[in-house]
Amino acid sequence: MDVLIKTVARIMFPLMLLLGAYIAINGHLSPGGGFPAGAVIGTAIAMMVLVYSEGDVEHRLTREELVDIKSVSGLILVIMIMSMGMKFRFELLSTQTYLSLWSGGFTVLLNIAGMLMVITAIVTLIYAIVKE
Amino acid sequence: MEASKLLGMGALAVVAGFLVLAVTGLPDFGSFERKHVALFFLEQGLQKTGSANIVNAIVWDFRGYDTLGEETVLFCAALGVFMIIRRKGHGRSD
Repeated sequence: MDVLIKTVARIMFPLMLLLGAYIAINGHLSPGGGFPAGAVIGTAIAMMVLVYSEGDVEHRLTREELVDIKSVSGLILVIMIMSMGMKFRFELLSTQTYLSLWSGGFTVLLNIAGMLMVITAIVTLIYAIVKE
Repeated sequence: MEASKLLGMGALAVVAGFLVLAVTGLPDFGSFERKHVALFFLEQGLQKTGSANIVNAIVWDFRGYDTLGEETVLFCAALGVFMIIRRKGHGRSD
């Protein structure tokens, strides 16, 4: 790839990671949430895969690691959503103040787990397409 | 041949009539009808879920099982692509 594209991608990558993390963590307070955050971070990693050679990125984040992350975050999602309506969730809610960062019960953690699911899906697809 | 064509056109006219009837029954653009589920989400959302973003509250809390299904679809799609396209003899031994 061109040196110009490589430089811009190197500058943009941490900013995109930061934006995605902000969208996910602040998702219960401002517009956003797990799905858009995963799309942003997944696009950042896809950009690095396309701009640099695929091997440079893949030895840091292998496909097997992606599947592991995806499985663990899926398990977290299942446990959290299945516990919906249980008593301890309402007790957790009553100890929190509205509009603070740690409010919304499990919504923060659900957003982060959903973000991991979307990231791993996008990156798995990009690896599969680039490899062929 | 001619009879079947007429029958088809008649059926089409009936379906189109029902569609027009359905469209005229929609609420006006921009108006809010007081359906009680929507009203419940808007009024009780902050107290029930504690999250100020009502869209996030609905997606991850009120309709959590729906979101769980969505994530399952995502998981199955990515896992299927991974299993089809992975290189032989390069990953972990199963």
